[in-house]
Amino acid sequence: MNTMADRVSGLFFMALGLAMYFWINPNYIETVDGGNISPATLPNIISIILAIAGAFIAIKPTDHQIRNPVLMAKTGLYVTLLTAGIWAMSWFGFEYVAPVLALAIMWLIGERRPLWLSLGVVAMPAIIWFLVTQLLGRALP
Amino acid sequence: MVEFSTILAGFGDAFSLYNLAFVLFGVVLGQFVGAVPGIGPIMAMAIAIPFTFGLDPLPAIAFLVGVNKGGLVGGAVPAVLMNTPGTPDAAATALDGYPLAKQGKPLKATKMALFSSITGDTFSDIVLITVSAPLAVLALKMGPIEVVALMIFAFSILAGLIGNSLTKGIIAAAFGLLAASVGQDPENFTPRLIFGYWDLFDGLALPSVAIGMLAISEILHRLSEAHGNMRPAIIAKDTGNPDDRRVTWAEYWSCRFTMLRGATIGTILGALPGIGSTAAAFMSYAMTKAGSKDPGSFGKGNIQGIAASESANSAVVGANLIPLLTLGIPGSVGAALIISAFMIHGMQPGPLLFENQGRLVYGLFGAMIMANFVNLWVGQLGLRLWVKVVSAPESIIFSSALLLCFVGVSMATSGLFGVAIMLIFAVIGYLMASFGYSLVIFIIAFFLGPRFEKSIAQSLALTDGDLTQVLKSPVALALLILSVVSVVWFLRKNVHGEDE
Repeated sequence: MNTMADRVSGLFFMALGLAMYFWINPNYIETVDGGNISPATLPNIISIILAIAGAFIAIKPTDHQIRNPVLMAKTGLYVTLLTAGIWAMSWFGFEYVAPVLALAIMWLIGERRPLWLSLGVVAMPAIIWFLVTQLLGRALP
Repeated sequence: MVEFSTILAGFGDAFSLYNLAFVLFGVVLGQFVGAVPGIGPIMAMAIAIPFTFGLDPLPAIAFLVGVNKGGLVGGAVPAVLMNTPGTPDAAATALDGYPLAKQGKPLKATKMALFSSITGDTFSDIVLITVSAPLAVLALKMGPIEVVALMIFAFSILAGLIGNSLTKGIIAAAFGLLAASVGQDPENFTPRLIFGYWDLFDGLALPSVAIGMLAISEILHRLSEAHGNMRPAIIAKDTGNPDDRRVTWAEYWSCRFTMLRGATIGTILGALPGIGSTAAAFMSYAMTKAGSKDPGSFGKGNIQGIAASESANSAVVGANLIPLLTLGIPGSVGAALIISAFMIHGMQPGPLLFENQGRLVYGLFGAMIMANFVNLWVGQLGLRLWVKVVSAPESIIFSSALLLCFVGVSMATSGLFGVAIMLIFAVIGYLMASFGYSLVIFIIAFFLGPRFEKSIAQSLALTDGDLTQVLKSPVALALLILSVVSVVWFLRKNVHGEDE
C-alpha cells in the first residue's frame, strides 16, 4: 500500500494550519475592540481543524494514488506559460499576447496542422476581440 | 389581493410576438454564453442591462429572464461534454454527465440535463406564481438564529459528498472556509488576510475561485495528458444505438421523483436569500445518491445524478424571485441584477409591487413560462450544435477555453488581478484533485462561509451571546436535529458503501 501521497498532503495541511494559527492570523488579521466575534475567531478555529485533520491524515493515510509525477511536471510547464501570459498581458494587452499564448499552448499539445493552428492563433483571438470590444463594448484585459 | 382580471391582463401582455422575440433572443444569448466556460449568464445579464434602457419594462425584464434561464441550460453543456462547467451551478451536473458523455452518450446526457432543467424551472415558476406571497412572508419570519441553523443544515449535507475519507472531506471544507475568510470581516468590516492587496478587500471573487478550480484545473489536467495525437476534446464513441442519442420517455419518467425532489430543494433554497443554485444542485445530488439503491453507479454516468443536479439548480431561478418580488430582497447575484433592472424601469420590488404593478408582475410570470418553452426548443437545436462544436480537436478547444476564461474572469472581476487569482486556484484545485481532496466540498464551503459567519454574528448580537436561545426556536431546533440526522445518515451510507 502506497501511503506517501496522503502523508505528504497531511503534513502540508498540518503545517499550513499551524502557520496560520501561530504566525499568519496574528500578523495579518486586525484586532478590534467590541463586537460579538473577533475577526480572527473563525480563521483560528479553521486553522486548528486543518492542523489536527492534517496530522490525522499523515498518521493514518489512505491508499490514494497520486497522479503521475511526469504529468504533474508537465502541468507545471503549462502553469508557468499561463503565468507568463498574464504578466505579458499586463504590459502588452490581450490583443498582442493572446495569439502568442494560443500558439504556445497548441504547439505544446502537439498541434502542427496549419488549419487548426491558424484557427486557434488568429481566428479565435479575433472572434473574442470582436465579441468583447465591438459587440459587448467592454475592454479586454 | 390582485384581481383575476389583472392576472389575465398581465398574461395577455406577455404572450405577444414582440415579447416572444425578446425572450428568444435572451434564451439564445444565455445558452450560448452559458456554454462558454468563464463567461456565464450573470456576466451576460450584467452587460445586457444597460442595453435594455430603451425598451419597455416587460420586454426588457423578459429578455433578462431569458438570458438567466438560457444560461443555466447552456452551463450544463461544457460540464457534460468537457467536464468544465460553464457556470458553478453546473459543476454537480459534470459528476455524472461527463462520464455518460465519455461512454458515447453525449446527446443523452445533454438532453437529460435540458429536460430536467426545464422541469425544475417550470416547477419553481408554478410555485412562484401560485404561492409567492405566503412563502416570502414565511422566509421573512426567519431570524438570524434560524438562518444559522439553516447554514448548519447546509453544511451537514456536505457529509453526503465526502466519499471514502472523512478526514479529507473535513480538510477540504476547512480549506474552503479559510479561503472564504479572506477579505473584510463581516461584523467589523476590518481587512483580514489580504496581505496588503486591497483588491482582496471584498474577498476572493467567486468567478475566479470557481472557474479556476473547476474549469482551469481540469483543462490543465487534460493538457498534461495530451501527447500530440490530436483527438477531440470529447471522445464520443458512436455506439450506433439510437437510444443512446435520446432520452426515452421511460428514462425521463424513471427520474420523476429525483426531479421532484431536486425541484423542491431548489425552490426552497431559492426562496431563502443567500443559499443559491450551486448549493441546491449539490444538495439534491447528495440526497439522490444517498437515497439510491445503487449509490456506486453515481459518478459513473447515472442519469439520475444529472436529473438531480439540473432540476435543483434551475428551480432556484424562479424561486429567487419570491423574496425579490414580495420583499425586495435579492436571493442571488442574478436576482440582484434583475432588481437593478426593475429599478431602472421604475418598478419598486417589495410588498406593494403586487398592488401597484400587478399587471406587470403577472406579465413577467407569463414571460417566464414562455421562456421555459423557448428554452426547451432552442436547447433541442443548440445542444446538437454544441456537441459538434466541442468535437473539434482539443488543441483548439482548450486554448480557446483558456482565452475565454481569461477574458470572462477579467470582465467579471474588473481586471487581471482576478485572472491571477483564478490561476492560483487552478493550481490549488489541480493539486487537491491530485491528492484526492474534494473540490466540490471546497467550493460549497467557500460559498457558504461568509453567510455562515455573518449569521452567527447577528445571532450573537440578538441573543447577547447566549446561543442556547437557539433551542427556544422550534424552526432552528428542527433544523439542528435534521443536521445531526443527515450527518449520521450520510456517514453510515458511506461506511456501508465501502463495505459493499
